[in-house]
Amino acid sequence: MQVYLPIAEMSVDALWLLGIGFGVGWLSGLFGVGGGFLLTPVLILIGIPSPVAVASGANQTLGASVSGLIAQWRRDNVDARMGLVLLTGGFVGSALGVQLFALLRKLGQVDLAVALFYVVVLGTVGLLMVRESVRSIWRRRRGHAPVRLHEHTWLHGLPFKLRFRKSRLYISVLPPLMVGFGIGILSAVMGVGGGFMLVPAMIYLLGMPTSVVIGTSLFQVVFVAANVTLLQAWQVGSVDIVLTLLLLAGGVAGAQFGAAMGTRLRGEETRALLGMLVLTVAAGLFWQLVRRPDSLYVVGPLP
Amino acid sequence: MIRLLLALLLLAAPAAAQAPRPATPPLTAALSTDTVEITTGFTGASVLVYGATDRLIGAPDGDEILIVMWGPPLPMVVRRKVNLLGFWMNGPSAAFPEVPGFYAIAGTHPPWELLPEDERRAGRLGLEVLPLRATGSQQPAFRAALLDLKQGDRHWLENLPVEVSGGRLFSARIAFPDTVQTGEYRTEVLLVRDRRVVARQELFLRVQRVGSAARIASVARQLPLVYGVSCILLAAAAGWLGSILFRRS
Repeated sequence: MQVYLPIAEMSVDALWLLGIGFGVGWLSGLFGVGGGFLLTPVLILIGIPSPVAVASGANQTLGASVSGLIAQWRRDNVDARMGLVLLTGGFVGSALGVQLFALLRKLGQVDLAVALFYVVVLGTVGLLMVRESVRSIWRRRRGHAPVRLHEHTWLHGLPFKLRFRKSRLYISVLPPLMVGFGIGILSAVMGVGGGFMLVPAMIYLLGMPTSVVIGTSLFQVVFVAANVTLLQAWQVGSVDIVLTLLLLAGGVAGAQFGAAMGTRLRGEETRALLGMLVLTVAAGLFWQLVRRPDSLYVVGPLP
Repeated sequence: MIRLLLALLLLAAPAAAQAPRPATPPLTAALSTDTVEITTGFTGASVLVYGATDRLIGAPDGDEILIVMWGPPLPMVVRRKVNLLGFWMNGPSAAFPEVPGFYAIAGTHPPWELLPEDERRAGRLGLEVLPLRATGSQQPAFRAALLDLKQGDRHWLENLPVEVSGGRLFSARIAFPDTVQTGEYRTEVLLVRDRRVVARQELFLRVQRVGSAARIASVARQLPLVYGVSCILLAAAAGWLGSILFRRS
C-alpha cells in the first residue's frame, strides 16, 4: 500500500515503514535505546532524503522512547534525578552541536562528517560493549565472584556531590553533566537521540546499575529527541509527520515486545547483543564510505 | 420536394463560395486534465496530450508533431565524489541555477530529425539543446552527470512516442514520478512541416497537493513552530497510546 509523504514529497510503501518501525521499536524496548542510529541510515537507504530521514527519525525516536519510558517507569527503573542532570548537560550540548552542524554545512562536508561520526562513535562504543560483556559472561561461566559494582577513579574525587538513590551512587554532578553535554553534541550532529552512547557511558563512566540505566537513558532520549524535533521543524522544515506516525505505529508495538523480552535477558547478554548490533551498523557505514560509489556524481537541490 | 431542394442548393452554392471558408486550424490539442492532484495515496500520475491536425501526419513530406512539457524551474547542484585517503567524499561541484524540475519531450520522430539545430536550440527542444548554464566548475562532465541523473529519476524524459491514429489524431502519454514537484507546468504542441514549425499551441497544467497532504505541507511551511510542537505531541501521544494498547506486563 503506497502512501504519499507530504514533506519528503515522495510515496513509499506503508507496510515497509510499519515493518521498519516495528523492528526498531523492538530494539528500543529491548536495549533502552531510541533506535535513531539504526533508523536514520535505514530510511536513507530506502530513498528518503537525508534531512527528512534525520528529522523524522528523531521524531520517531521520541515517540518510541515515550512508550519504552512508560514501560520502564512502571517497573520503577528510572532515576529521574540522574536523568535531569544528564538532560541539563544534554540541552547545552545539543545547542552547541547545532552550531557545529551549521558550520559543517557551510563547508559542504555534512555527509562525510556525519558518516565519519557514525563510524567512529558506533565502532568504539560497539567494541567496548562487546569486549566488556563477553568478559563478564566469561567470568560468570567460570564461577568467579562478581566484580565490584564500579571502579573508583579520579571521577569520584570531584566536588558537588549529589546522592542518586535509585542508582545507589553518591557522586559529583560533573561527570553526568559532561556525559550529557558530550552526547548532546553528538546527537545534534548525528541526528539521533543518543541512547546507544548513553547506555555504555552510564554503565562504564558513571557506574550505574544496569537495571536503572535503560529507563534513565530513555528519560534523557525523550527530551533530547523532542528538542531535535522542534529545532528541525522550525529551522529546516524537514519533519514528516506522516512518516513519523507510520514508523511509530509499528514502533510502539515493537517496543512493548522488546521491553517484555528485555526483562528476561541478563544484563551481560543484552549488552553483548546491543554491542554487536552497533558494530554491524558501524561496519556497514564504513563500507559505504570506502567502497567506490555507483555513480561518481550526486545531484541535489541547491541549498 | 427534390426540385425545391435543388433550387435552394443552386441558390446557396454561389453564396457559400463567396463567403470566406471557415479556416480549419492546422492543429488543435488538449490535455486530458488541467490539474494533477497529489493526494495521500499519490504514486505518480500520467497525463494524455492529444489533438488533431488538418493534414495527414507522418506521410512523406507530411506533418510531424512535437510535444514538450516543462515543470517549474528547480536550481540543482551536482557534486563529484573524490577519493581522499580511501574515503569517498564530496569534491568539486557545479550549480545549475535555472533548470526545469521536470522536462519531457515526445515526437513522431526525434526532434533532431525534424528541425535544424538553431530552431531546436531556440525552442529548447531536446535535452541536448537545453541551456544548462552552470556556476562553479564548468567541466562538461557535470552537465553530462546532471542529464544522466535527472533521466535516471524520471524527471527528464526524452524520445517519448507520439501515437497517431487515422492519420490525423495524435496522442502522447507523459508520466510524472511520485517525486514530482508542485507548480505550473507548460506544454507546447508543435506542428512541424518541411523542417519548420508551422503551428503551435500552448497548454497549461497545475500539479498541486490536495487533502491532508496539502494541509500538512502548508502548516509545516507557514507555522513551523506550531507544526514542530504538534509533531512532538503527536509522537508522544502515539507512544503513550501504544504502551496502553500493547501492554504486556
